[in-house]
Amino acid sequence: MKFAPLLLLATVALLIALPWLVSGSMLNAAVQMLIAALFAMAFGLLCGQAGMLSFGHAAYFGVGAFAAVHAMNAFGGAGLLPTPLLPLVGGATGLISGLVAGYFSTKRTGVYFAMITLALAELLHALASHLKAVFGGEAGVSSFRMPAWGIGFGSLTDVYFLTLVWTLLCIGLLYLFSKTPLGRITLGLRENAHRLRFLGYNTHALGTLIFAISAMFAGIAGALQSMNIEAANYVVLESHISTAVVLNSFIGGVRVFLGPAIGGAVMTFFGYVTSDLTRVWLLYQGIIFVLVMMFLPRGLVGELVERLRHRSGQGVARSLGATLLRLLCLAVAAAGAVFLIEFLQRFLSSEYRAGVSEGNWPAISLFSYDWAPLSVLPWAVGLGLFGLGIALVVTVNRRVADRQEAQA
Amino acid sequence: MALRTFARSTAAMALAIGATAAGAEPLKIALVETLSGPQASTGLLYRDAVKYQIGKINDAGGFGGEPIELLEYDNQGGPVGAADRVRAAISDGADVILQGSSSAVAGQVTEDVRKYNLRNAGNEVLYINLGGEAMELTGAKCHYYHFRTSPNAAIRVNTLLDGMSEAGVLGGKVYAMNQNYSWGIDVQDNTVAAADRLGFTVVEQTLHDVNKIQDFSPYVQRIQAAGADTVITGNWSNDLLLLMKSASGAGLDVRFGTAFLDQPGNIGNAGAVAEGHFLSAPFNPEVNQDQTAGFMEDYKSVTGHYPSYVEPVTVFGMMLLQEALKAVEPTEDGLNAADLAVALENATANTPMGTISMRAADHQAVLPMIVQEVSRDAVYKADNTEFGFVPIKVIAARDAEQPVQASCKMKRPG
Amino acid sequence: MPLLTGVSVDQILFALLNGTIYGLLLFMVSAGLTLIFGMMGVLNFAHASFYMLGAYFAYTLQPLTGFWLAIILAPVLVMGVGILVERFILRHVHEHGHAHELLVTFGLSVVIAEMIKMVYGKFAVDYRVPAELNFAAFSLSGIDYPFYRLLMGGIAVVMFIAIWLLLTKTRVGIVVRSAIYRPQMAEALGHNVPMVFMGVFGIGAALAGLAGAVAGAFYTTNPNMALELGVMVFVVVVVGGLGSMGGAMAASLLIGITNSLAVGSDLRIADLMSLVGMGGWAEDLGGLLTMRMSSLAATLPFFIMLLVLVLRPSGLMGEKE
Repeated sequence: MKFAPLLLLATVALLIALPWLVSGSMLNAAVQMLIAALFAMAFGLLCGQAGMLSFGHAAYFGVGAFAAVHAMNAFGGAGLLPTPLLPLVGGATGLISGLVAGYFSTKRTGVYFAMITLALAELLHALASHLKAVFGGEAGVSSFRMPAWGIGFGSLTDVYFLTLVWTLLCIGLLYLFSKTPLGRITLGLRENAHRLRFLGYNTHALGTLIFAISAMFAGIAGALQSMNIEAANYVVLESHISTAVVLNSFIGGVRVFLGPAIGGAVMTFFGYVTSDLTRVWLLYQGIIFVLVMMFLPRGLVGELVERLRHRSGQGVARSLGATLLRLLCLAVAAAGAVFLIEFLQRFLSSEYRAGVSEGNWPAISLFSYDWAPLSVLPWAVGLGLFGLGIALVVTVNRRVADRQEAQA
Repeated sequence: MALRTFARSTAAMALAIGATAAGAEPLKIALVETLSGPQASTGLLYRDAVKYQIGKINDAGGFGGEPIELLEYDNQGGPVGAADRVRAAISDGADVILQGSSSAVAGQVTEDVRKYNLRNAGNEVLYINLGGEAMELTGAKCHYYHFRTSPNAAIRVNTLLDGMSEAGVLGGKVYAMNQNYSWGIDVQDNTVAAADRLGFTVVEQTLHDVNKIQDFSPYVQRIQAAGADTVITGNWSNDLLLLMKSASGAGLDVRFGTAFLDQPGNIGNAGAVAEGHFLSAPFNPEVNQDQTAGFMEDYKSVTGHYPSYVEPVTVFGMMLLQEALKAVEPTEDGLNAADLAVALENATANTPMGTISMRAADHQAVLPMIVQEVSRDAVYKADNTEFGFVPIKVIAARDAEQPVQASCKMKRPG
Repeated sequence: MPLLTGVSVDQILFALLNGTIYGLLLFMVSAGLTLIFGMMGVLNFAHASFYMLGAYFAYTLQPLTGFWLAIILAPVLVMGVGILVERFILRHVHEHGHAHELLVTFGLSVVIAEMIKMVYGKFAVDYRVPAELNFAAFSLSGIDYPFYRLLMGGIAVVMFIAIWLLLTKTRVGIVVRSAIYRPQMAEALGHNVPMVFMGVFGIGAALAGLAGAVAGAFYTTNPNMALELGVMVFVVVVVGGLGSMGGAMAASLLIGITNSLAVGSDLRIADLMSLVGMGGWAEDLGGLLTMRMSSLAATLPFFIMLLVLVLRPSGLMGEKE
C-alpha cells in the first residue's frame, strides 16, 4: 500500500480544487457529504474501534448544532467566537454531554448499551420539542454567519472551505488518536474488555472517555451542519439521523479507518442524486443496505482493503479481470431490477390507476419508451435482464472457483 | 441531480443555439417539496397542483414568450434537506421558490430566502408559501420576499367558528384539542380569543404530543368529563382520525370542527365516523357550480383525480402568480424578482371560489373560505365513500380576512 | 390530595381499562419480538413491519374472505414472509455478527415500508371494524366502551396463555427452550436447531401480523404504522427483560397504564415541588418544571426504559444479561 499517501494527497488536492470544477448544487452536495463523513468518522471511533454500537448519536450531533447556533446568535448576533472557530463550541458541548451520557451508557455493554443510547436520544428529542426557549419549537433557531478574518462567509465556496478545513482537521486528529497508546487500548476494549480490566485498566472510565471524544467530533459535525444552513431544528435529534449514521458507517466499513467517512459521503451523494430522480429512492437505499450487509459484511472500503491486503501485485491484476466482469454482470442485473421497480411504481401509482378505465390500459412511459403494461415485453425486459445478470454472476463465480481449485 | 442538471444544461444549450432570436432565458420556478419519505403524500399533491397550473400558464403563452420551466427538488421531509435544496434551486437559476407542506420547512425556507436576499441585493429570489399556515410566517418572521397564498390559523379557526355559530351547531361549550406545536397552539389561541365574540365558553384546552399517540381514549374521556358540545381541533392526519374514531367508539355526542378533515384517505378511513363533522377550507366543489364543475373535470383530466385538500388553494395561489407575471417585464435571465414582488403584492385573481388577492401589509392572501359539513348528500364523494363535503356557508374574502399581526415589521426595499 | 381533584372514580377506572387494553396490544406485537430475541439474540428492527403487513394483508383479504377469515389468514401470510426472511436473509448474515443482523432487519423495514407505499399508496386505507362488531360493550357515566377494544384485549390474553402453555407444557416448547438456552447441546441431541429458529421466527412474525390484522381495523392502517409503534415495542421488550414472555406482558401493561394515566393528568413537577415549599422557585424557573404531565406522556416510556437499564439492566423479569 505504498500508493496510499499519494492517493490521499490527490484526494485532498481534488477536494481543494472542487469549487472550480463543479456546479453550485454539486458543491452544496459536497458540503453535506463532508459533514456526513465527519459524523460517520465520529461514530466509527465509538463503534468500529471501541466496539460500542450507539443508536443515539443524533443527540450529540444535535447538541453541537444547537450550541453553534446559539453561539452564533450570542451578543446580539456578533457571535461568541469568530465564525471559523464556532465549531469549537459544538465540539465542547458534544464533549461535555458525551461525558455525562457516556458515564451512564458505558456501564452496560452490547444491546443494553445500544438501548441506553437510544433512550437518551429519544428522551432528548421528545423534550426538545417542548423546550422552546432552547430548541426553538418546530420552527427551529435561526442564525446568521458573520464575516470574520476578512472572509465574508456569505458564499457557498466560503462555507465549503470552512467545512473542508474542519473535516480534514478532525479526521487527521482521529487518525493521530488511533496511533496513540490510548487509541490502541481502545481496540482492546472492543476485542476483550474482560482482559483489559484484568490488566488493571478502568474500562468504564476508558469507555466514557472514548464515548465523549466520539460525541465531541459528532458535535463538531453538528456545528458545521447548523453553520452551513444557518439554523438548527430539533428534527436533527430524530432517530432516523441516528440510524442513518450507523448504516452509512457500516456500508463504508466500520473497522477500516476511512470506511465510515467514505460510506457517509457515498450514501449522502446517493440520496442527493436519486431523491430528485425517482420517487422510490428510499426503496433503493433499503435494498442497498440489505445487500451490503448480506454480501459485503466488511463494508465497501473494508472489502476493498481486505482484497488488496491478501494479494500480491500480480494477484490483484489477475483478480481485477474477474472482479470487473462480476461488476458488469451485476450492472446488468441492477438495470433489470431498476427497470422492474420503476415500471411497477408507475404501474401502481394512483395517477396511473385513475387513468385506467374498462379494459383500457394506457401505455407507460419509461426511459423514453412507451410500454404496454399488459404485453409481455416490459416484464420480460425487466425480469430477463435481472435473471441474465444473476446467472452471469453465478457462472463467473463458478469459473473463478474452478480455476482457483485447478491452481491449488 | 448531476445527471439531471447535465441533461437540463444540454437541453438549455440546444435551446439557446436553436433559438438565439428569442434571446431571453425561460423563467425558472423551483418546487422544493417533500416528495419521498413518510410525509410525501401531501408533498405530491402540491406537486400535482403546481404542475397543473404552470401547464395552464404555459398554454397561455408562458412568460416572456417562453414556457416557464418547473424544477422539482425533494427536500426529504426536513428543514435540513430544504435548506440544501433551496440553495441548489437558486444555483440552478430559479427566481421563485414554491413550498407548502410543513410549517417547519416553511420556516427554514423563508429564513434562507431572507438571508440570501440580504447577501445578494439586486439578485433576489421570491418564496411563495403554498401551505405553511403557522402565524409567525406572516408575523415575527414576515419579510418582503415571502408570500403566503394559503389561509392561516386565524383565518381557519375564525371562519370555522363563525360558520358553525351561524348554522347553530357550535353550542355553548367548546373544547380546544390540539397538537403541541406552534400550529396547534395558534389554533388554540384563536379559539380562545373568539369565545367572547361568539358567546361560547372554552371548557378546556389540551395540547398533546404530535403523531405519537396511538390511543386517544383518555383524551376522549376528558372531553366527556368537560361536557363539551363541540371540539375545535387543528389536528391532521392520524392524530385527527384516531381522535374522531375514539370519540365515536365511546359514543360521545360531540361535533368536531376541523381544519384538515379533507386530507385524502381521512373520509375513507373514518367512514360514518366523520359524518356531521365540520371543516373550514378555501374550496368546495359545490360552490359556484357553473365555474367549479369545469375546473374539477379539467383538473381530473390532467392529473387523474379531482382536486382536493391542498390542491385547489395551491392552484389559486399559482393563479395569483400568473396575474402578477402579466405585469412584469422579462429580463435576460428570466425576471427581476423585485419587480415580481411589487406585482404580486397588488395581484388579484378570479378563481372558481371568487376573487382572491394578496395583502401588501404582511403578504398574506385574502381569500374566501367555505365552512362545510361531511354528509351523504354531497355531489362529489370523497375517497370512493358515500360521504363528501356539503357547503354550509361561504365566507367572502373580506369577511374571512383577519387583522395584520403587530409582530410583522416588514422592511420594504428603498 | 391535589393529585386527584376533579377526577372521579369512573374516570380512573376507564383510564385503567384503556391502559390495560393498550398494554395488551403492545404485548401482542412485542411477544414475537421477545421470543425472537430470546432465541437468536437479534433485535429485529423489521418486527413492527410484520405488524403493518398483517394489517395490510387483512385489509386486502377482507373483501374476499370476510373479516374473521382475513384475521386468521393474514398472520399465516405474514408467517410465510417471516420464514422467507429468516431462511434467505437472516441466516445468511448470522455469521457476521449481531450488529449486521440488526442492520439487515433495519434495511428490510425500509424496503417493506416502501413496497407498501408502492402497492397501497401513501394515505391510510379504509380498513375498518366491521359494522356487526362496532357496538358498545357497556357504558359508564355516559361513556360507551367499544366492544372491539375488549375483543382486542381478549385475543391478546388468549395469545399469552397459548404461548405460555406451548412453551412450558409441550414437548415442542421444551425443544424450543433448550434451543434458546444451549443451541449446540440441543443440536447434538439431534434436534434441528436451524429449523426451530425458522419456526420461531415465523411464529413471532405471525403474532405481530395477528396484532396488526386486529388492531389495524381499530386504529388506522397506513404506511407509517410500523414507524409509530416500532420504538415502543423495543422499549417493552427491554423493560420486560430481553427474551422473557412474562416480562413483556408486565412491561406492556406498565407502559400502557402509565401512559393512560399520564395523559389524563395535569400534574406538573412544580406542583410536586410546591408540596415541599419550592413551588414558587419552580414556577420562576419554568421549562421542564412547569410542563404538564399530559404533554410529557410520550416521553415516559423512554424514561422508564432508562431507569430499568440503569437500575436493573436485565429488565423486570429477564434472566440473562
